[in-house]
Amino acid sequence: MIIDFTTAAYLSIAFWALGSMLGIAAKSSTALRKTATALNLGGSLIMIAFIAIYWHALERPPLRTLGETRLWYAALIPLVGLLVEYRWKISWLKYYCMGLAAFFLTINLLHPEVFDKALMPALQSPWFIPHVVVYLVGYVLLAASSVAGWHNIFLTYRMKDLKSNDALAHYLALLGFVFLTFGLVFGALWAKDAWGNYWSWDPKETWAFIAWLIYLGYLHAVSYKINRLKLQWYLALAFLVLLVSWFGVNYLPTAANSVHTYQQS
Amino acid sequence: MKADRRTLFQKPWEFREAALIAILLNAAGFAIQYSLGGTGITMPEWPMNAITLLLSACLILAVGLSYRHNPFIAWLGGIPLGLSLILTLAALSFIGGMVPQGTAGNPTALRLGLHSIFSSWPFALIVSLFLWNLGLSLSWKLVPFSLKNLQFILFHAGFWIALSCGIFGSSDLQRLVLPVQEGQASNQGYIMKSKQAQEIPFSVFLHDFSIEEYPPQLMLYDPKNDRLIMNSSQAIPEVRAGATAEWKGISVKVTDFIPSGLPGKEGTPVPADPAIGIPFAKVRISGAAGKGELWLSTGGPMLKPGAVDLDGLFLFMVPGSPKSFRSAVTLRDENGLETIANLEVNKPVNFKGWKIYQMGYDEESGKFSTLSLLEVIRDPWLPAVYLGFFMMLGANALFFWNGIKKSGASL
Repeated sequence: MIIDFTTAAYLSIAFWALGSMLGIAAKSSTALRKTATALNLGGSLIMIAFIAIYWHALERPPLRTLGETRLWYAALIPLVGLLVEYRWKISWLKYYCMGLAAFFLTINLLHPEVFDKALMPALQSPWFIPHVVVYLVGYVLLAASSVAGWHNIFLTYRMKDLKSNDALAHYLALLGFVFLTFGLVFGALWAKDAWGNYWSWDPKETWAFIAWLIYLGYLHAVSYKINRLKLQWYLALAFLVLLVSWFGVNYLPTAANSVHTYQQS
Repeated sequence: MKADRRTLFQKPWEFREAALIAILLNAAGFAIQYSLGGTGITMPEWPMNAITLLLSACLILAVGLSYRHNPFIAWLGGIPLGLSLILTLAALSFIGGMVPQGTAGNPTALRLGLHSIFSSWPFALIVSLFLWNLGLSLSWKLVPFSLKNLQFILFHAGFWIALSCGIFGSSDLQRLVLPVQEGQASNQGYIMKSKQAQEIPFSVFLHDFSIEEYPPQLMLYDPKNDRLIMNSSQAIPEVRAGATAEWKGISVKVTDFIPSGLPGKEGTPVPADPAIGIPFAKVRISGAAGKGELWLSTGGPMLKPGAVDLDGLFLFMVPGSPKSFRSAVTLRDENGLETIANLEVNKPVNFKGWKIYQMGYDEESGKFSTLSLLEVIRDPWLPAVYLGFFMMLGANALFFWNGIKKSGASL
């Protein structure tokens, strides 16, 4: 490989860190702010380039193992933060997003993956990419909504809460839910082709269903006009359930029966 | 706020009553489950399940439309109860996600249905109430109909249909394992759990079963610590002519590779038909424990795998994992109608209302297996469940679109 993961990960983290520091220091200087954005963007572009090279070397999409999905996550979540800044002029979200991305890259640095090209027959399906990518985008958006929730709670205690921040958290959760539903249904349609059942209460399915119900609950809590601070807490904590369904499942007593564990280590 | 705090069950009912009802219903469900000794619910089969479902749907619709102003019915189809049931379903699923589902476990847990939560009484009771809640709210948005409610209708109706048809239809699902030997036909299926034999209305003749494997891999094994030694790039080296692999102080180069061969004269293998041959690789080992050039094989039915002792570490070659496996079959029904098909994982074939899946093979024989394990499934309710799924997807597409429009205004 032209660049190895360690170099790419440190480069990305360095870009994000530099961009963040410059962004905070820039204040009103447009030139500095633009440089900061370019650096932040650069961090993600390095990850995207790495994924592309990795994809090529693996001869299959790097979406099989949890470590591989974390790469996509690290590349995409800062982009959500930057997009929100570009579209709605809310600049704080991107810092949290880059922090999360750096955190997930650090996990991968601490637990290097075994480089294995094999893609078992059950995963060789046209559903593979849509199912995983839709879920990844959903997770990215819901992670951002959770971050926004925490930020709003923090602001509330400092008496600085803003309506637009609440709306942002809500909109991210709504979008995330849409993607979660698509991921869940795509998964069911794929499962029918691969295993003969669209639903079999596999632990991963069960947890994906729980996460989906939790966000469905959020949307109903919103319609029920529950106190806004409670809603922010709900969003902030709901992401923990999503984390269990993303990779916590592998560490639960039920994992042994799961058809969703594609890792040897 | 505190001054006008409602007492429990003061009308109109809200979330607290809903939460209490959900808790009581769960308690009742677990009590029934326990007193029945752990036997869960069995669904009636066709046509009773369809009749029950249709009557329930009509009843819900009739109640919803006739009593929409009754405070109790309004609560029964309202958001507070819906929210409490969604969270209760999540809590019951949480049990299913934490406690291994199956038939083994602590006797009390088994009797309470914790190991089969999704066919347990509490789950059934909560789902029933949920279908009422969902159905009632749907009836109020359906009549009078308005295009504005399309997203609501699609999502809620889709969920109702997928959930109810998935559950009520589960008793009509037939799922059998069908083992077939090369050159033979079979219509003898087995129910996986009970091993009970059952005939299917067509036969499957297996012409050929074949496996394609990934290239074999080189591994370095440390018997003292019982572990594989990873090289610096964390890659398991694939065997190809010209491939190299490096471990600390040991360097291996594949100088020749025969994907399918048989042992020949003086230890030099010769290429052979893939149906009988096994992979051979000529490797040059250099470094501290250098051994010069020698042949390695993955082993097969007639040959033991070779391993090279490198000062207490063993270098060996393992067969690649299966890349694909397929069965060439002829399906033949009672009237002699025939179809030729290729069955492969992820590519099931439809025949006479059944779906036929490539499931497995004799794994001990690996690529020399002449046995193919197929799975035949008949699920007459599938189109209804899929209709529900697609309605939900449609609703979500609308949700996405409307969400963008709305938030553009509010942000």
